Amino acid sequence: MPALVLRGLAKRFDGAVAVAGVDLDVPAGSFFGLLGPNGAGKTTTLSMAVGVLRPDAGAAFVLGHDVWADPVEAKRRLGVLPDGHRMFDRLTGAELLAYTGLLRGMEPGEVDARARDLLDVLGLADAGRTLVVDYSSGMKKKIGLACALLHAPRLLVLDEPFEAVDPVSAALIRDILHRYVHSGGTVIFSSHVMEVVEKLCTHVAIMAGGAIRAVGPLEAVRAGRDLEEVFVEVVGGRVALGRELSWL
Amino acid sequence: MSNGFRGQALRTVGFVLGLVLGACVAITAGIALALTGTVPVQTGFLVAVLTGSALTLGWALAPVLFFGIDETLDPARFALLPLSRGVLTRGMLASAFIGVPAVCALLASLGLVAAAGLRFGAGPALVALLGIGVSLTVAVLASRAITSAFARLLRSRRTRDLAAVVIALLASSLTPLQWAITAAARHGSVGQALGVAQVAAWTPLGAGAALPYDAAAGRWDLVALRLGLLLGTIALLAWWWSRTSESAMLAAGSGSVVRGARTVGGGAVGTLIPGWLRPFVRPGPGAAIVARELRFWWRDGRRRPALVSIIAASAILPIMLSVTTASPLADASSRATLAGFGLAVCMSGMLTGILLCNQFGFDGSAFAAHLLSRVPGATDLRARAAAICVIVVPVQVLVVVAVCVVTGTLANLPLGLGVLASTVGTGLAAAAMLSVLAPYALPRNDNPFAANTGTGSVKGLLSLVALVAGLVLSAPVTVTAIRYGAAPWGALALPAGLAYGYAALRVGTTIAGELLDRRSPEVLTAVTPTR
Repeated sequence: MPALVLRGLAKRFDGAVAVAGVDLDVPAGSFFGLLGPNGAGKTTTLSMAVGVLRPDAGAAFVLGHDVWADPVEAKRRLGVLPDGHRMFDRLTGAELLAYTGLLRGMEPGEVDARARDLLDVLGLADAGRTLVVDYSSGMKKKIGLACALLHAPRLLVLDEPFEAVDPVSAALIRDILHRYVHSGGTVIFSSHVMEVVEKLCTHVAIMAGGAIRAVGPLEAVRAGRDLEEVFVEVVGGRVALGRELSWL
Repeated sequence: MSNGFRGQALRTVGFVLGLVLGACVAITAGIALALTGTVPVQTGFLVAVLTGSALTLGWALAPVLFFGIDETLDPARFALLPLSRGVLTRGMLASAFIGVPAVCALLASLGLVAAAGLRFGAGPALVALLGIGVSLTVAVLASRAITSAFARLLRSRRTRDLAAVVIALLASSLTPLQWAITAAARHGSVGQALGVAQVAAWTPLGAGAALPYDAAAGRWDLVALRLGLLLGTIALLAWWWSRTSESAMLAAGSGSVVRGARTVGGGAVGTLIPGWLRPFVRPGPGAAIVARELRFWWRDGRRRPALVSIIAASAILPIMLSVTTASPLADASSRATLAGFGLAVCMSGMLTGILLCNQFGFDGSAFAAHLLSRVPGATDLRARAAAICVIVVPVQVLVVVAVCVVTGTLANLPLGLGVLASTVGTGLAAAAMLSVLAPYALPRNDNPFAANTGTGSVKGLLSLVALVAGLVLSAPVTVTAIRYGAAPWGALALPAGLAYGYAALRVGTTIAGELLDRRSPEVLTAVTPTR
């Protein structure tokens, strides 16, 4: 069974089409990259897929459970790192983890044990009583990831997990995600950084103008070429010819 | 400025309404001031100088205290443009003269010119015009210099949070200050006031308004002296402002310090819900939300000022109202005493709900965490209500007790507490309903001076709806208590009020909670600040 299935998801904002009917199958155990330029509708699609933005049409299924009709079962299996979704950032890292765990109805003992593990592994235990609002952006991504992982979900949905993250933190996040996929989890994340996607993903989808333009296993989409080349071609960007900006 | 209106009919209507209202007030004030040209010279001088001083002082401080700085013209935004300091300073100065308040102030102060013309003729009127122009320049420069000096301080989050509290306290202490001034005016003589005016006329605040009186008396030396004082002030302010606005352009460090790397004992849950509370509190979604809310009311720079001013108001209000209505000789159970006391407590209790009228707006997009973990709406709303009660209700109870003790009406204490309980309950119920039905986004940045312009402030008026709804809902208890509240029946108000308030809160959060369960994605969208 696919980990995430999207069928005809669509959304308009004030008449402008943000997402125009997205169909997507994310196979279980895959490391799935959702590529697209800014404004392609990646965040909108993922927000509808995890049940925080109501779609105008279409449906989303997490491991067979309809996100909008059966949210309790779907969301139990789902961990989310939302981009631009500010966290409750006036808490310390430990407080935020405890809050997230209790909110999900987890046992306090279990929350304690897992929070300690996550803080240690992510190198956040030293932050002590620093509030999340004062964290660096790399630390914020890491504590967000910790919150997403706390309840041991089977599907991780990450919006721009590597944006504005320093190389050391990025490497750590990559390691953890790799380990998670190896142990049977599924990851789908959005990005516009080709190198990261090329290095990590087993599957990719390229999105532009609110629709999926290319999708499949990485090698199939790439077809022996550079992913960046494919991306620019699919999205319809232009390549400089050398004649423009001659005055530069 | 016109960009602020683009495509937003509501804002345009608001602006025009503000303009018309402001113009009406300004013209009335101007006519009133012009009429001072017909009263005795001394009184005219007194009114002119004191009004002029108040206008200048108010202008200089008002943006900091109330309206916030229009961040469109934050000097930091111009840092990357190739503008010289002189151009920038002149441009920002010119922009400060454009706007509703500036035009209104100008209209109102033209009344002073008219007064001078009525009394002394054309010459002094011209001098008055000059004086007003110079005074307004002082006011504008002062307000600009003060705000950009503050802007530098406010780069660090910690100072910002602190400043917000100080400002909230200052703003809420203005009303008592006003009372004090009124009281002083009632008791003081004209002579004393004239003394004050004489002094004010020699400060940059009131010097401009005093000019025509010197000119009419033929004391051109005094005119020159006062003008010199004003121009010197302008030069000083301009120098200070162009210095501060330059340093405001340089982005200071965010000032974040990693605080004590103390290892956390007792586990993560222990940091959120202290161990000694465990026997009483079952750790779960509700307890977690209460714990988080308690922290956020203090740690969130947007909530703290609101909390501080509401607490101050809910303490000041009943004290003032009951002290003014209860004469020391009156019987504790007299209708007037009861009515004053009951209404005061009622208003005080109602203020608690005001804080939660846009409770999801404070969360902003962080509210997504509640959606992702499927917190039941009723649990969410009740936890938030409980947290605010833990903070505010003890203060209100203390104030009610204090009022009863001081006015010697201890017999009314159960009645007061009963009314308090019922109004807190109905106020919170109304707020819960409103916060689900009409949530709106708060500005993303947490500069306490940034004005909440546009739709935010329009929707802020909705809290009045909750206030009225809460008052109506609590009316049965309040009215009955006041009507039949004389001892010995008054004691019944306590259990009745508690039961009524609890029931209202329970029913309100149940209905609003079911609504929230269905509407939570819409609420999240509404409170997410647009980029």
